[in-house]
Amino acid sequence: MVATAATSAFIPVPSPSAPDPGSKPKKLANLGGMKPKSISSGGLQVKANAQAPPKINGSSVSLTTPVETVKHEGEMSSSSSSSSSSPPPRTFINTLPDWSMLLAAITTIFLAAEKQWMMLDWKPRRPDMDMLIDPFGLGRIVQDGFVFRQNFSIRSYEIGADRTASIETLMNHLQETALNHVKTAGLLGDGFGSTPEMCKKNLIWVVARMQVVVDRYPTWGDVVQVDTSVGASGKNGMRRNWLVRDYKTGEILTRASSVWVMMNKKTRKLSKIPGEVRGEIEPYFLDSDPVVEEDSRKLQKLDDNTADYVRTGLAPRWSDLDVNQHVNNVKYIGWILESAPLPILESHELAAMTLEYRRECGKDSVLQSLTAVSSNGVGNLASHADIECQHLLRLEDGAEIVRGRTVWRPKYAKNFGTFDQLPAEST
Amino acid sequence: MLKVSCNVLSDQSQAITQCGFLGRGPILTRGHRRNAVVLRSGSGSSYKGPILAVVSDRVIGSGTGSGSGSLADRLRLGSLTDDGLSYKERFIVRCYEVGINKTATVETIANLLQEVGCNHAQSVGFSTDGFATTPTMRKLHLIWVTARMHIEIYKYPAWSDVIEIETWCQGEGRIGTRRDWILKDHATGQVIGRATSKWVMMNQDTRRLQKVSDDVRDEYLVYCPREPRLAIPEENSSSLRRIPKLEDPADHSKLGLVPRRADLDMNQHVNNVTYIGWVLESLPQEIIDSHELQTITLDYRRECQHDDIVDSLTSVEPVEDAELVSKIQGTNGSTAATENNEDLRQFLHLLRVSGDGLEINRGRTEWRKKHAR
Repeated sequence: MVATAATSAFIPVPSPSAPDPGSKPKKLANLGGMKPKSISSGGLQVKANAQAPPKINGSSVSLTTPVETVKHEGEMSSSSSSSSSSPPPRTFINTLPDWSMLLAAITTIFLAAEKQWMMLDWKPRRPDMDMLIDPFGLGRIVQDGFVFRQNFSIRSYEIGADRTASIETLMNHLQETALNHVKTAGLLGDGFGSTPEMCKKNLIWVVARMQVVVDRYPTWGDVVQVDTSVGASGKNGMRRNWLVRDYKTGEILTRASSVWVMMNKKTRKLSKIPGEVRGEIEPYFLDSDPVVEEDSRKLQKLDDNTADYVRTGLAPRWSDLDVNQHVNNVKYIGWILESAPLPILESHELAAMTLEYRRECGKDSVLQSLTAVSSNGVGNLASHADIECQHLLRLEDGAEIVRGRTVWRPKYAKNFGTFDQLPAEST
Repeated sequence: MLKVSCNVLSDQSQAITQCGFLGRGPILTRGHRRNAVVLRSGSGSSYKGPILAVVSDRVIGSGTGSGSGSLADRLRLGSLTDDGLSYKERFIVRCYEVGINKTATVETIANLLQEVGCNHAQSVGFSTDGFATTPTMRKLHLIWVTARMHIEIYKYPAWSDVIEIETWCQGEGRIGTRRDWILKDHATGQVIGRATSKWVMMNQDTRRLQKVSDDVRDEYLVYCPREPRLAIPEENSSSLRRIPKLEDPADHSKLGLVPRRADLDMNQHVNNVTYIGWVLESLPQEIIDSHELQTITLDYRRECQHDDIVDSLTSVEPVEDAELVSKIQGTNGSTAATENNEDLRQFLHLLRVSGDGLEINRGRTEWRKKHAR
């Protein structure tokens, strides 16, 4: 479970100015800010090697030269200001047609103005502008460098049975933005979210807890905008937050928050955050209000007696595995929902989910998914109130993989498509 | 046989676009279906003929303006080509679409082929509730179902690579239609894969196959290339080869596979792409570790429901010398290999319902040895 999602947890992005007067002053290099002169065209932010290294508490923190890992829409700009050691960019925009010169000129003009608009949390949609800046939707740093933003268009195969994006799709998008945030900020040590210092010490990020609240599910053809940022969680943990909006209307669709801890990948023991790593990541921590109200209720462990529904024989397929041959985090959610009773799935939609990750599993694992309906009564599944369920995903020998709690709200007017979804009743 | 699962257009857009592709005038589509991709694609030359005029209006689009067109249309990275006879779209490979080889999985590729097919259908105004049903088909409750799918991948893309897929469809004899794809690495322009698929028409209610009538054929042929255009034109292509049923007992098997909720489309049938995953399940680990999938061909025989249990069987298929010579390119000429050739492995597959053994799919896969990237 560790895998890609785990290590992609964080990614601070330094900013030239403090986001608000109350936050501690940090003298940071402008890793993420707008620097029109260092970008020839179309490229936004993240020219890490173009800046002085940030200074934390007077000591300078070296940044890796992330040129080879910086793949963004301004690839043409990287060729102008990149260091000599970068391998040829693998992706697009290496060989643009001639119109790119015109595009470059136009974009440069807009970039200066764009800088002002970046400060706002939300601004009127100008999709054509975004297409100039971020034509492939790779994402970019916004908001003084603390937030990474990426757009996703919902693809047809990401739609679930009720014609809206599945919860797995939403979680996949969160994972993708987290990893791209790491990469764009230049802190991708090994491709899985470990920073260079972490790689040296064989440390990886492991997700401990995840909370997601979905206000409305997007549907095929919708475009969502995902904003993500990181902050501290206690002394040795990190929190990553996401906010997903409808690109067109700005309406908040999903809010999520996750807590990560550091683990030694060889010993599999939890580790404190070493000073060198702290120096790499702390510049990126954003002190912000929690996006999701913390659900700190203890998650219960289910067993065969307390579970109402059990689904056994769940086995990972090849496509469930990441490069370490561990099961991708997001797949657990699908398995958890395998034992959710069909009447609930048909009449309700998943409104909120809290997950505690306990153990990872690999290709040869065989899992069992247990569900207990913990409120609203078992016999009353089709009622018009919210339903809460407890979940457990475990191996056949009983070893726990994930504990979870889900809250379901009734679907309204689902035959008319998602635009007629009424907001969930507030409790 | 399986349907590709796609989402329906809203009723309103369907009505408008139906009028559109019947050639009743571009005005109905103006301001409704715009495509901002014109910024990149550079397409938008003039067209001839009423129906093509509709297409051109859509492609030219109109820069900024009110958002009455679907936002995804405007942000979509795909568009019809200049002649309106094929559709191109670009996709970035996302991190969760990458598998154990650090490259996109074949399921990801298959999903993208499906996506671009749906988008093509939508861009020319066909409903995408099954697969590009024309109005006549909808009236008669006819849908397209996949009969055969053949995918060749020469170079798998990695995370955040951009691939450009071009797709088009054309008639195939009297009974079906085919859709072809060419995949290119957007950065280099290199062809990284090709695919072709064959579709037949089925009555949605009776689940029986039906011949393609002339009215239906005329409806969609407008959007197809006039001359036959094959993604895989070679005559000895394995996309044309018959797939025999593998003999009992199979060399390898994985029994008791069950559809997950995520595998089901809106009609509770198992999505096409899930079969690919199931076929691969019964391959031994050493093949997965040492080789990468070069070609997969699947014949779809029967649909699978959410409560079916599936067995996946695999057997080695000896590669005949003649084929081997044509397949192994760039080697030092060691063509004396028979089935012991380690660089190229070939397998036959069978997916069947666990209890009664009814055949769901047959398949063939070809694998090439992995090289360090």
